[in-house]
Amino acid sequence: MTRMKSKWLVLFIVFGLILTACGGGSDDAAEEEVVAEEPAEELDSPATTAAAAEPVADPPSICLVLDIGGLGDLAFNDLAYSGYEKAIEDFGMVGTFLEPDGGGENRGELLELCAEAGNDLIVGNGFLFDAAMNEVAPSYPDINFAITDGVAEPGNVRGMLFKHAEGSFLAGVAAALKTTTNNVGFIGGVDFPLIHEFEQGYLAGVAAINPDITVQIGYASVPPDFSGFNDPVKGKEIALAQYEAGADIIYHAAGGTGTGMFEAAKEVSEATGTKVWGIGVDFDQYYTVGNPLPELQEYILTSMVKAADVSIYNAAKATVEGTFTGGPSVDDLSTGGIYLSYSGGYIDDIKDTLEEYKEKIISGEIVPPSVRP
Amino acid sequence: MIKNIYSFILKRYIVITPLLLVLIVAQREEYSQLTTSGTFGSAIRLAIPIMLAGLGGLFSEKTGVVNIGLEGMMIMGTWFGAWGGFTYGAWQGVFIGMLGGALFGLIHAIATVSFQVDHIVSGVAINILAAGVARFLNVISFEDVAYASSTASPRITGEIGKMTVPFLAGGPINDEETFNLFGSIENLDIFLISDFAGFILGFLSNISYLTIFALAIVPFSLIILWHTPIGLQMRSVGEYPTGSESLGVNVYLMKYIGVTISGALSGLAGAYLVVGGTGIYLEGQTGGRGFIGLASMLFGNYKPFGILMGSGLFGFADALQLRSPQAVHGLLIVISIFLFVLVLKTLFEKKYTQSLISLLFSGAFLIWFLNSTTIPNQFVYFTPHITTLIVLSFANQRIKLPEKIGVPYKKGELN
Repeated sequence: MTRMKSKWLVLFIVFGLILTACGGGSDDAAEEEVVAEEPAEELDSPATTAAAAEPVADPPSICLVLDIGGLGDLAFNDLAYSGYEKAIEDFGMVGTFLEPDGGGENRGELLELCAEAGNDLIVGNGFLFDAAMNEVAPSYPDINFAITDGVAEPGNVRGMLFKHAEGSFLAGVAAALKTTTNNVGFIGGVDFPLIHEFEQGYLAGVAAINPDITVQIGYASVPPDFSGFNDPVKGKEIALAQYEAGADIIYHAAGGTGTGMFEAAKEVSEATGTKVWGIGVDFDQYYTVGNPLPELQEYILTSMVKAADVSIYNAAKATVEGTFTGGPSVDDLSTGGIYLSYSGGYIDDIKDTLEEYKEKIISGEIVPPSVRP
Repeated sequence: MIKNIYSFILKRYIVITPLLLVLIVAQREEYSQLTTSGTFGSAIRLAIPIMLAGLGGLFSEKTGVVNIGLEGMMIMGTWFGAWGGFTYGAWQGVFIGMLGGALFGLIHAIATVSFQVDHIVSGVAINILAAGVARFLNVISFEDVAYASSTASPRITGEIGKMTVPFLAGGPINDEETFNLFGSIENLDIFLISDFAGFILGFLSNISYLTIFALAIVPFSLIILWHTPIGLQMRSVGEYPTGSESLGVNVYLMKYIGVTISGALSGLAGAYLVVGGTGIYLEGQTGGRGFIGLASMLFGNYKPFGILMGSGLFGFADALQLRSPQAVHGLLIVISIFLFVLVLKTLFEKKYTQSLISLLFSGAFLIWFLNSTTIPNQFVYFTPHITTLIVLSFANQRIKLPEKIGVPYKKGELN
């Protein structure tokens, strides 16, 4: 009886582990895409300067490692993915994309996996990759690495930075001009310096229009818990509280958590009869949230778009052309890497004022703060 | 009846004293979020999944099977709930979610009851297995569906309705607004009465039918386990299986029933997260709520209404920290005074060391309260966990575990 028991136990656990492995592995295999086998002309292109070990005939390859939340967050990760897809399409690259497990502990392993497969460009989507980059990149000096929202020490890593404060400032201006209750809100995903850039820029933007406007600030989680970027239930509860306390516009910088905020906007609008709004982030969420969830579209005032997709596309382009450089590269309002979207036409009436502030920021007359005082 | 209430208060002073203190502190303007209807409504929504997981644990552990696989069964509930919701509709999703959880409950039962696998080992295996299975199923089921990915499902179709009770909470009848009795009382700001109205209003306004369904399970569990023959058999199996068998109880069957119901309730908890939330399955969405459910079961001392209170406490603290970090500061003085009550109690019982420790902590919290106006965000965020921990550490001395919990039972052997 005991032998039988332990046999079942072993079988059971092994079965569990196999399935776990399948769960992680199957999508890696399934999502590997070979879009176009580029013919001979690709041979002469300097595309393969980076990967010396690769046979010259191979098309250039790109590997994208997403961050917590994975594909389908309708924000940060989907944005990176769209840039990656465009690069594959335009440059005939071979693409692989990977998603870390729930807690994101295996970032380093995934980067290593990409590097061992001999990819020409490896993108880590999110500042949390910095430690893993520092570890992995030096061992593969011939491979180009890129990290969004962060910097890493090795010379072959491009840090793709964004001046979130500039875009958030404009979001603040829009909120301040549009509010009728003189009360607006902000929801951050995780309470740490990167999100403080959004918060501070927003606060400054609101104050530039009317210093008497109340700004309510809420966060979904604090480090080391980064679940706040992927918890729509909490996003909804925070937003409900802020709307109840009088806010009529809330700006979120919280990834997938923000979907809950738009849900709350709909619920509150329907319950009270007065329309309240949400401001999206990263993507033009009028489309990214509005397409799968059409009933939420009319509550999305605008979005603070950060074109990480363009940055990733540019990194891929540089890799293909052999002009890739490491080190930090910054996108802001002037480069078009950051902008406020006008989709839906809800802020068309204040476009002049927004443009005015945009010019002031570009000219340096206004410098939105990006750190907490 | 009155005597019952009196003895209930005596037994539950550990819950009732802090509640009263909270009510008093909430009279200050800056702490008013402590007792608004919004906070209570939010608390209920956050508490339900934990409560359901706790009730799931109850059914399993009362039949003598330790179930730390609640989290895993909950994960199955989230995925099956989303799949069923996407394929058939919201309510169907809820029941398919329950079936998914029940399936994993059944696996746990087969392992622990029929094959006498160690309960903890099987539970851990369930948790690992469920995480993998959910992702695996998500990848193969939604491969060609728009807006789905390996870690997220598409949105479910249809939704579960909500209601606001007419007259009492101002819900509409035939699209016409009615008088909002409790809402008006809440706005009057009368001590205790307005706070209590806020509490009731939280339950009556804008409440999902799914929440009502979930809350109805609490008295239902009580009736099943304590007032039906099958409930008696289930409990007897957890206390004294050999004796039960000698009286003709089918021990294995009872354990199977208990653990499967446990899985179904955990599955419902998972489905609630999906269907009652934004309608999308996200990997890692359960976020340890199953384990907190287990804690709420211990907190509730294996009683359905105790579990309701335990999960309610956690949900309340969670709602509070999400809605008003400012109000959390008010809890410091509550803790301080509550510890002082404990000082008096332990002095009365002549436990001087405990009394001294409580006094020290009480003083420390008082000093902290007086010398600050806010709490660092890090502490605010952990309020629910800390609150549960503190309360649990005071409550755990009197927990009555089922006699033969975690002990494998073999038919025909003396146990």
